[in-house]
Amino acid sequence: MTETTVAERAEMRAMARELARRELAPRAASLDAGGQDVLAECWRLLVELGLDRALLDEQHGGAGLGVSDLLASIEELAVGDGGIAMCVLLCNAALATLADEQLAEVPWGARWALVPAAPEVEVTVLGGALDGRLACALGAHGAYGLVVLLDGPVPMTWALDTGAAGSRLERDLAQMGLRAAPAASVEVTGAACAPTADGSDGSSTAMSAASALALLRAGTAAIAHGIARRAYEMALEYAHARRQGGVAIIEHDAVSDMLSAMAVRLACWPQIAADNRSEIDQAQALAAKIAATDAAVASTTDAVQVFGGTGYMVETGIEKLMRDAKYCQLFPEPNWVAHDELMRSQRAGRTAMRGG
Amino acid sequence: MASITAERSLREQYPRLASGSEGIDVRELERLRARARRFADEHVRPRALEIDRRTGEDPGWFDWDLVRAGAQAGMLSFLIPKPAGGAGGLSTQAAVVMEELCAACPGIALIFGAHALGISPLLLGGPSQWDGVLAELVASEHSGEPQLMACAITEPEAGTDVEDPDLLRRARITSHAHRVPGGFRLSATKRFISNGSVARWITVLMPTDPRRAAETWTCFLVDTRSEGFTVSRVEHKMGQRACPAAELTFDGVFVPDERVVGREGDGAPETMIVLACSRPPVGAIATGIARGAYERVLSWLEEDRAATGLLERQHVQLALAGMEEEIHLARQLYMDAATELDHAALGSAMSHPAVRALGHVPASIRGRAPVRGWLHSGRARDATVALLHRTTSERAVTRSLALSSMAKARGGDVAMRVTGAALELAGLRAGPLRAELEKLWRDAKLCQIYEGTNQLNRLEVYRGLCRSETIGCLPPLRGHLDTDERAHTNADARAHLDSDALQHASVDGDGGRS
Repeated sequence: MTETTVAERAEMRAMARELARRELAPRAASLDAGGQDVLAECWRLLVELGLDRALLDEQHGGAGLGVSDLLASIEELAVGDGGIAMCVLLCNAALATLADEQLAEVPWGARWALVPAAPEVEVTVLGGALDGRLACALGAHGAYGLVVLLDGPVPMTWALDTGAAGSRLERDLAQMGLRAAPAASVEVTGAACAPTADGSDGSSTAMSAASALALLRAGTAAIAHGIARRAYEMALEYAHARRQGGVAIIEHDAVSDMLSAMAVRLACWPQIAADNRSEIDQAQALAAKIAATDAAVASTTDAVQVFGGTGYMVETGIEKLMRDAKYCQLFPEPNWVAHDELMRSQRAGRTAMRGG
Repeated sequence: MASITAERSLREQYPRLASGSEGIDVRELERLRARARRFADEHVRPRALEIDRRTGEDPGWFDWDLVRAGAQAGMLSFLIPKPAGGAGGLSTQAAVVMEELCAACPGIALIFGAHALGISPLLLGGPSQWDGVLAELVASEHSGEPQLMACAITEPEAGTDVEDPDLLRRARITSHAHRVPGGFRLSATKRFISNGSVARWITVLMPTDPRRAAETWTCFLVDTRSEGFTVSRVEHKMGQRACPAAELTFDGVFVPDERVVGREGDGAPETMIVLACSRPPVGAIATGIARGAYERVLSWLEEDRAATGLLERQHVQLALAGMEEEIHLARQLYMDAATELDHAALGSAMSHPAVRALGHVPASIRGRAPVRGWLHSGRARDATVALLHRTTSERAVTRSLALSSMAKARGGDVAMRVTGAALELAGLRAGPLRAELEKLWRDAKLCQIYEGTNQLNRLEVYRGLCRSETIGCLPPLRGHLDTDERAHTNADARAHLDSDALQHASVDGDGGRS
């Protein structure tokens, strides 16, 4: 990975922020409604900025960003729409695991998704063939390719062409949150898959499976933080504008207390160390994911409360943030499982778990 | 899916019933609960997800077949007084029914809950209301073509403000009921009205003088077939979608004097009593939602291969125990509030010998002109208020309101916590269960908002319990608008009356009386 300058990093973040405000936020309702055309349109804009393969170096057509730069950009995108930010995260995490020869076959602008799965319970790999069923694979519907991450004691990643014989994807119509990252149930019956590059021994520039999983967790934390920022901005604005009891509702302690709690949660955002390494500390990623997503659920729930009955109506866009935040709490694993993972690592006396 | 909680008797679920001190016919309550559960199992649960999906695509879509099935199960008349043909239930009955229905689908339950809310102000109108719309509602239930009711209070600029008399004084009220000969003409926009687009009758509250909204706040019974009434739009909601929330426009809708519920200007205290009655059922709605999520996730953990081994985990066991604990406490709160309201605060008025005696008078006699005229007279309305003052007190109603508010606020929080925790236990990969839990989680949020936000409800708890304050929960013995003022208001109204108004009043058959 090439090093980016401070100015380039700031510029990338600013572009992501601008894109989120100008292009994504106005389309958030359409994205939430499941519009595939609007998703394609937004994806094209992201590709033009190079955010679809931001982690890849220039020889692979990437922007050469470090993980922390990508996380910062994803957070900005999530202020516009959490689902789109999730698409960017899933695509970057998937592509980062691919070997050079696999990357060479990825068409420009193709959307990929990294799909975590429980080995043996959900899918099995035998002789380069995948069998099983993955429910609610975020970002899988409409994706060009998937990287299936088997989250076992030794995590492994396998690349799967979504059009391959033996694979069947069905849109998850019940998906409640992050709907711009359209989920699918993935059924694989002897579908041919290929192992990705194993970057864990340093022999490849590709990201190891364990690091990719950590990236998903850290990225989900960043998305949750972006969603919470948006919720706070909207609630604050509404609290100044809406009057009850003869005054703006922000004058009521009952409302200002909620806004204050939202501001405190934002201030306590557990930043992932802002270095430019390609790998993330596993325990830090888990902790950040738990803290940020819990905070986002609390803040978005409060934001709807500040709006009152108006906030419960879809047209205001505030209830969508609550649904999106809830999905962050459940992905890539529910937070109680993440707690479990974190404590398992502590019990083993390791700060960085499997990929550390 | 087995209903784990429902297998327990009401006495087991709410031990205070065992003492028999509440004056409740427990067997009758058990029968009502069993009827509600049967309706929920046979009609509500199987349709819940599909109705949620359809109304998510088209908020105006409404399942009348479900309402007909509910009518057959008596879900529309349990709150209507016995002399009008109903079951004569109060807050306790409404709460028990709501928990059962909400464990299956809160949106569908809300259709019946909003109907009960629409009826509530009529109960305060006393015997004068028995033989009109209430009897018509019962008849419609029996005919197989049921009619629904709604209650309209919220306005675009006044949500929380209209749920509290103090805030009402400073509220931006845009609605106005102008007096005209023979009645009133209503001009208003009312928002987020549950059942608003499907109701045949709506109890609507607005001032007769917007400059003194609190003092002139009045309840009207509106026929939605009236000229000038329109459904402006049906909202696209996050949850509880089966029950449409509508914006309603009243453009000079004529309401005859006979359909003023209670006395002109008594609307603010009436609203307080209605909220005291309706908040325990909202606590029950929330408890039912939490129970629905708990039962579903427990069943999944016990039966689904994807959940194999999870029940052995202490984390899961502790989470389930926490849910059971929260649901139990939420149920105690709403039952405490409902039974206190029904038997300490309002029950005596509803079962007063004078009221019971009138109930024994055949409807055919009550319907004769002289009797009917007297029942709708100002003296009869004054007598109804006097009866309230004799049988209860403002302190008792304030305390009941505070308990109801506590049950509502706590229940709403429990519903959010339990549905959120259930969803987290199941995760995204839980298949069909996930969709059900997600729906309940979306549904749960509304419980923290409607019937006053949880924050407003807790301020009621502060006033009523922490500070032992007494608020004006009963209409004054002498009406807000005394005779001189009434005459002045009438003269004012007449001066502004145009020929068009006269013509409308005439068409409605009530012209010329004032």
